[in-house]
Amino acid sequence: MLSVPTTCPFCACGCGFFLLGKEGDLVGVAPGESHPVAAGKLCARGWNAHEAPLWGKRVLQPMVRRDGALKAESWTAALDYVASRMRDLIGAGKPVGVLGSARATNEENYLAGRLARAGLQTNSIDFSHHAPCRPLMAGVEDVTGEPFHSTRLTDIETSESIVLVEGDLARTHPRAAASVLKALGKGARLIVIGCARTQMARLASCFVETLPGSEGDAINGLLAAVLRTQEQEGRQAAIPGAGYDALRRDLEAASASDEMRGAAGWIAAAEQAVFLIGPSGGRAERLRSDAASMATLAAISRRPGRPGGGLLLLLGRSNVRGACEMGAAPDRLPGYERIDNAEALQRMQQLWGKPVPADRGLDAQSMLESVSGLIVLADDPAAVLPMGQRARAALERMDFLVVLDAYVTPAVNAAHAVLPIASLAETRGTFTNMEGRLQRVRAATVPPGEARDGWKVLAGLCARFDARCEWSSATDVLREIGEAAPRYSKAVPQVPDDGWGSSLVEEAEWASLALRASPKEALTSPERPYVLALDGASDWGSDPLVAFSPTLSREYQSERKLFPNGLVEMNGADADALGVRSGWKVKLSSAQGGAVVPIRLRKDLQRGVLLAPYGFRDWVAGVLGEDGVAAVNVERA
Amino acid sequence: MQPHVLTIRKRDVTRWLARLLETREVIAPTLGPCGEIVFSEVRAAEQVVWDFENPLPPPKQFLLPQTDPIVRIQVNGHGAQVEPIHDGRQRVLFNVRPCDVKGIAFLTRMHEMEPADASYLRRAENLTVISLACNTPCQLGFCVCSDSGPFLNSGHDIQLTDLGQKYLAEIGSAKGEGSVADAASLFDPATEDEVAQRKKLEAEAKERFGEETCHFASAMRRVSTRRVDDALWERMSDWCLECGACNFICPTCYCFSVKDRGGDGTWTRCRTWDSCQYAAFTLEASGHNPRAQHGERVKRRFFHKVSAQYYVRDGMTGCVGCGRCVKVCLGTTDMPAVVAAIRKGAWHGQ
Amino acid sequence: MDNDVFLPHIARIDAVRDETPDTKTFTLRFREPEDSKAFRFLPGQFVELSVFGCGEAPFCIASSPTRPETFETTIRRTGTLTDALHQLGAGAEVGIRGPFGNGFDVEGARGKDLLFVAGGIGLPPLRSLIRNVLDERDRFRNVTVLYGARTPVDLVYKDELKEWETDTGVEFHITVDNGLPGWTGNVGMVPVLFTKTTLRPESTLAYVCGPPIMIKFVVQDLFMRGFKEESVISTLERMMQCGIGKCNHCAIGHRYVCRDGPVFNYKQIRELVE
Repeated sequence: MLSVPTTCPFCACGCGFFLLGKEGDLVGVAPGESHPVAAGKLCARGWNAHEAPLWGKRVLQPMVRRDGALKAESWTAALDYVASRMRDLIGAGKPVGVLGSARATNEENYLAGRLARAGLQTNSIDFSHHAPCRPLMAGVEDVTGEPFHSTRLTDIETSESIVLVEGDLARTHPRAAASVLKALGKGARLIVIGCARTQMARLASCFVETLPGSEGDAINGLLAAVLRTQEQEGRQAAIPGAGYDALRRDLEAASASDEMRGAAGWIAAAEQAVFLIGPSGGRAERLRSDAASMATLAAISRRPGRPGGGLLLLLGRSNVRGACEMGAAPDRLPGYERIDNAEALQRMQQLWGKPVPADRGLDAQSMLESVSGLIVLADDPAAVLPMGQRARAALERMDFLVVLDAYVTPAVNAAHAVLPIASLAETRGTFTNMEGRLQRVRAATVPPGEARDGWKVLAGLCARFDARCEWSSATDVLREIGEAAPRYSKAVPQVPDDGWGSSLVEEAEWASLALRASPKEALTSPERPYVLALDGASDWGSDPLVAFSPTLSREYQSERKLFPNGLVEMNGADADALGVRSGWKVKLSSAQGGAVVPIRLRKDLQRGVLLAPYGFRDWVAGVLGEDGVAAVNVERA
Repeated sequence: MQPHVLTIRKRDVTRWLARLLETREVIAPTLGPCGEIVFSEVRAAEQVVWDFENPLPPPKQFLLPQTDPIVRIQVNGHGAQVEPIHDGRQRVLFNVRPCDVKGIAFLTRMHEMEPADASYLRRAENLTVISLACNTPCQLGFCVCSDSGPFLNSGHDIQLTDLGQKYLAEIGSAKGEGSVADAASLFDPATEDEVAQRKKLEAEAKERFGEETCHFASAMRRVSTRRVDDALWERMSDWCLECGACNFICPTCYCFSVKDRGGDGTWTRCRTWDSCQYAAFTLEASGHNPRAQHGERVKRRFFHKVSAQYYVRDGMTGCVGCGRCVKVCLGTTDMPAVVAAIRKGAWHGQ
Repeated sequence: MDNDVFLPHIARIDAVRDETPDTKTFTLRFREPEDSKAFRFLPGQFVELSVFGCGEAPFCIASSPTRPETFETTIRRTGTLTDALHQLGAGAEVGIRGPFGNGFDVEGARGKDLLFVAGGIGLPPLRSLIRNVLDERDRFRNVTVLYGARTPVDLVYKDELKEWETDTGVEFHITVDNGLPGWTGNVGMVPVLFTKTTLRPESTLAYVCGPPIMIKFVVQDLFMRGFKEESVISTLERMMQCGIGKCNHCAIGHRYVCRDGPVFNYKQIRELVE
């Protein structure tokens, strides 16, 4: 049995395990006791990581659409065709773009960025998982000057106080939830802010139940209480350039219950505290300010000399951080440097030997709505972006759509050219997890049919646009990444060839802090007394690595079959009051619009709140609008 | 059969292994990637690692791989053709621990139960298990609580005991005899002193456990008479993260699903590991799920492992005390912790 | 059948009959004569049917072992596999493993009064026993069949029901929840039929099969009328895969629906605790 150490391709915890192969076929997964994150543990997804490559519908040959149907093509012909059509579009002045992916390696994302900027001369590069995470990163950057902080999961385990803005951590990031359980076992205090009594909320020492969209109020209440406690005890954190006066003014309207004030005491007294927040289906500005509040809370709770400050963004997918730091963003270069940073721009131009455009490109949603030519690298816009099915329609309308993927996804079915790449069980590359750990992905078998390593295919495309590209291995690409991204320059040479291959991306110390707090927002009214929100910011069921795993996809398939006309969840007492039972329909109406949707009862949900699982957002898109949260009136349909 | 007791000098073991390697596949603990000890096929005796506790993944994957092809199906112009996939390879599992021997015996018993499963039994019949008793119990193990170690007194093909310069070899089956016959010149009959030394080592090993960590008997009584509150299972389930690791890593767990893989007229029917901790394990096509509550699933696992009803059916508890679940549990609901909770009727003091 | 227990045996679809808009009865015949000979089943047992390319699922046998050259199964379209199966016609090949399960205790029913109460798609599993009983009619005492469905369209075995109506060896009553133009029979849920017949709890075995809610009301009614738990028999459904009590999907406590069931009496059901 072949045993290959690799990194988990699912969430951003970045566990490692051994992929098992026998006689060229994947067989299963074995735990890796020595892995710094996993330590021999995995979640259900990790344990079944071999299933999608083994059981999934795979793209086997390059294909080009002729007379309405995808037909097999040779590699050279397919690559030439893609290059020539993209060149035609660019020559005609039509906008083009590239989508990288949070489920693609750093090497693949980096080359996608190089293809876009040096090759296609556009900054229109993004990736779908960026959309839910970007507001969080921006909020943190507003306060600390940095979007990412290298707090580790082990820091959770050694913290005395944990603040979690909850989106169901036990299901989104089981390994992180495991760290919380470990800390609780040692007597840590868990403060959970959320709208449902989830597993973490039930275990909390203090559960602050909020309406969806009002988490910021609770964070600010806690923030104000911690500030007050620190002032009373004369223990204010000395932060250079901190706007304490402005912060106090912003927090004047903030209120904290007695329970929250008690929790604030725990935070203030803790030697070490961690602050966890992940993406949620809400308005970007609100998420940004919530993240800023959390970062502020982390900043003022920080003990001197403790790096990282305990702030951890619960990024949604295995390589969100990597994709960002590879520059898969319309306004960011490798290293997550801003494109208006002249020095960074100059460095990229020198490295790539080509001019790089300086104007901001289009983000994923805008690209889908307006470009004529799009190259998609293993991304799932319709599954991930808030715009949902509108993304699928946009892909189908595209003049020229090229998809690189291992799996037959909806994007593949809409493409004009399909280039088969190796799955994450069949390729070599790296991921950067939410801790900032740069880890290796390795192959336990060879890709099927004519599929090739993604980086090789992108290199082939780059070659047709960019004279200078000599990479003979994924390692070569990684070396170049070390030159392109200053943050990676120390980390890349430290990634060992053998073993897990793990190295932390170095992080700049927090410079001066601009402390912010988010404004309070009222939502409901007598005419619209309920709050409808999206539950979470991702749907594992439509991720190919879950959808193609027979073991992991069962519950999602069942749910879709049982609720073919949409779904919202509500509290049983609310259902009784409205005279509806599970499976019956309700009429929802907000200022944006209305919808009629069946309900399902949910025990852990408070009265007055309806949640639509993220995978069912299309059915309530008219009601929620761009906001992801809306005040609604609910009636029996 | 009468146990036949021999000894072999430690320095002769490489020659014994070389003889075994001539005719069969030998699987033993080896130094794998990242410095972890894993069971793997060996080509040379030198690859066998001796000085360590127990590999984390149990050897059950050689009898029941996580993805196990069992039937080949072909549909073409001539109709459907099916054939079973047989694995009749001769194998030796070398240097496993008593807990894993017991685990394999349990799995064999499960698959022998009518109707017997030929695919599993073919592998088991062609597998000889040569184990090494534990003079020093491992850190997390509690085999003494489930009568699966640190030494076995029956059920082994060959049990080795480390006597210092030699290994004692207790031959417990015809298969064991067969593995020794090829290298008979390397073995001597054991002396009375050597047998006495083995008994002493067993007694000393048992002493080293100190306070027993897993009182199955009283837990069994409570679980079997349904005296454990549903509310307790619910509370416990909040400390479980439904990863299924306990099932996958356990030497006696064997729950599986059956699925067909392939397309375009050729399919392979595979048995695949599954976990009773997954919500979808009992999910019916209608959408009804008899174990929709997390607590119900945790309760299910421990009923299967620890109840008298299963003990009577299976002839042993569904736990060999290897301690692996303690290592891999993503939450805090490993066997010793849950058994303690069942006995006390409380979890985390509540 | 040998102990390659996961090996399906090839059977051809001899005939397909539409029962309702979403339900069909498939008549199956093994391709190999020795498979036909070896396939001996009891009423109430089930098979694991493979639709090649889709997978495998359990379906109860709806025909009687007294007519063994072929066997029938009545299947409603509910998902991918049944969708694919419904596309197949006569001559198509499927895989069969089985028979599995305990089946009805036909011997134990001899000399007794038998009451069959079925709702909708619950009739097929009982039909295997009803046909067996009618084929050996003189070995049983009174036979009463009460059958109901939501509408006349949802009744299965429509032609056979007409036979039962005229068969003097069977007391047959039928009802629908909602009538349609042209329906002259009873209207109302199945328990309404209890008023049409004389029930003899002391000497009767009652077999009940149908939607869970129907079973609940019927069984309650029977107990109120004096039926003992051991005399009321039903079939349980669970997610099943191997059919041989090994995969553990269908376990309830230490009992397995695929081996200790799917046929259970209500005393056994009460004792089936997780």
